[in-house]
Amino acid sequence: MKKKNIIILLVISIVCIIFVYHDYFLYKTPIVKVTNIDNKIEKIESNKEKHYIQNITGTIMNGKYKGNKIGMVNHYSTSLIYGDKIEKNSDVFVKLTSDGNKISSIESIKRDKYIVILFVIFIDLIILIAGKKGIKTLVSFFSNVAITIFAIVLFNNNYEKINILLLYLIISIIFIVLSLFITNGKSKKTLSAIISSIVALLLSFSLSFILVKIFGKTLNIWGMEYIDVVHDYHNFFYVCILLCGLGAIMDIAITISSSLNELIEKNAKISKKDLLKSGKVISKDIVGTMINVMLFTCYTSVIPTVLLAIKNNMPVATALNFYADLELTIVLCNCVGIALTIPVSLYISILILNNRKVVKK
Amino acid sequence: MNKILWIILFFLLLLIGKSRGVKTFFSFLLSMILIIIYIILMGLGLNAIILALIICILASIISIFFLNGYSKKTISAFLGVMAVLVIVFIILYIIGNRASIGGFGDESLETIGAFSYDINYSMVKVMIGMYLVSVIGTIIDTSISVSSAMNEVLENNPKIKKDELYKSGMNIGADILSTTINTLYFALISTFIGFFMWHRFMSIELIINYKVFAQDIILLLITFIGSILIIPITSYISSRLLLKKK
Repeated sequence: MKKKNIIILLVISIVCIIFVYHDYFLYKTPIVKVTNIDNKIEKIESNKEKHYIQNITGTIMNGKYKGNKIGMVNHYSTSLIYGDKIEKNSDVFVKLTSDGNKISSIESIKRDKYIVILFVIFIDLIILIAGKKGIKTLVSFFSNVAITIFAIVLFNNNYEKINILLLYLIISIIFIVLSLFITNGKSKKTLSAIISSIVALLLSFSLSFILVKIFGKTLNIWGMEYIDVVHDYHNFFYVCILLCGLGAIMDIAITISSSLNELIEKNAKISKKDLLKSGKVISKDIVGTMINVMLFTCYTSVIPTVLLAIKNNMPVATALNFYADLELTIVLCNCVGIALTIPVSLYISILILNNRKVVKK
Repeated sequence: MNKILWIILFFLLLLIGKSRGVKTFFSFLLSMILIIIYIILMGLGLNAIILALIICILASIISIFFLNGYSKKTISAFLGVMAVLVIVFIILYIIGNRASIGGFGDESLETIGAFSYDINYSMVKVMIGMYLVSVIGTIIDTSISVSSAMNEVLENNPKIKKDELYKSGMNIGADILSTTINTLYFALISTFIGFFMWHRFMSIELIINYKVFAQDIILLLITFIGSILIIPITSYISSRLLLKKK
């Protein structure tokens, strides 16, 4: 990458970060910048952990009462399970009384700057390290985000009429076509990856669907996060299963189809048997790391709740059964899906890549 | 339900990979047991962050050396993972405390309401530890892919120079990157769908600063950052280590 472009990128990044540190005018909710904190230990005899009272003074940074000094009180305890410890120089959202002289409650800490900093690091790294390919990745990433937002808004506005599972089945096929197409261009390699992904997704999802229908009666679906807002909560659970492994399925499909494509290009006379053989060798390497990624990335989200239960003297097995069972089902369904994707995309890739070659002759 | 899935997974892996499939299955099971041991040890009151770092090192040893053998290739993959782990940890430590990412939001009140909050154990540390463990899977994956592909390049072209080898590592990494980002995005997206259904009446400006949203998006971004950072670091280490004379 050219030096000039790198400098431009860094300047833009720094401007973004400075901006988000001073973006008070964007918000309607009053923000207070904390200038001074006085921490005191609060005495509650019966408790194991320490409780603190923070006497906070700060300045209002936006709105009608901008510039006014104001005081407030915040409570927190060591575990921070519910509530925040407020640090000096941080910004907090507050609710003011109608005359603007007092704070009636603290709403939230201003966290947008941390998100923006991480986001800027992500974009900078991907462009600096992967160059043009990085930009392609970003385009595919942002189009996925845009589709996701579209699906969420569409569903939120019509949640009584739309079947959430059907919606996301359609959306996931769009995801597959678009992201494989953007990152790999128009070629038969991409085509075979797209078809393999779609077939593998439908196959593995139907298998999970049937298994959950038959054996899933013991599943405690009500324990799932966010479940009580969804009308057809069973379908929401299926959507989670569907989406979780979608990226992994695409990953395997494109890896297999591009490596087979490579083999055919290098040796046009390679037999079907040999292709299948080398394909199997390649796939053995991917599946292990892929299911490990699924496990570490998805299953860990149960940790806080399970830990809280254990700390409350619930036996470990019971806590895992109660609060981690569903997540495990989602992960395992997708591991099965990942394993299924391998033979599916092997056969489809060979079929498409090999057939075309014959037609060309 | 899960027992049946375990059995199906075992037979599928056996069918696809034969003896290697069995090894894959047991390393998966081992990782699962590691995560559970991690939770149990936190339950006993040990420091969440130190525990997470130990678990990450153990997980890397299992999936790098146990599954792929002991060689220069795997050593450089391992060193790369450790370096990224340290960097990610530093970023999380700085941001985690200031953004107060520990604990639960309003949507979990029903679940956690049954429990006493008086556990004397910092949830911010739990969260930082959890992020570290979540990130480790994907950085191990990318690190191994990069270092084995570089090893392949070296074997096909033994006279290659350091810088060329480094460059080919970066190239391979850039190819892997797009699928990795995709995989991670979809693995983590379903929480956002639920989140936005729950908070459909919340204003955008409060959502962006809301604790649970921050938790989820920091997890997404930090896994992205880890899986990008691993590419130059592993390429660099491999290009030096692989070319070292025996």
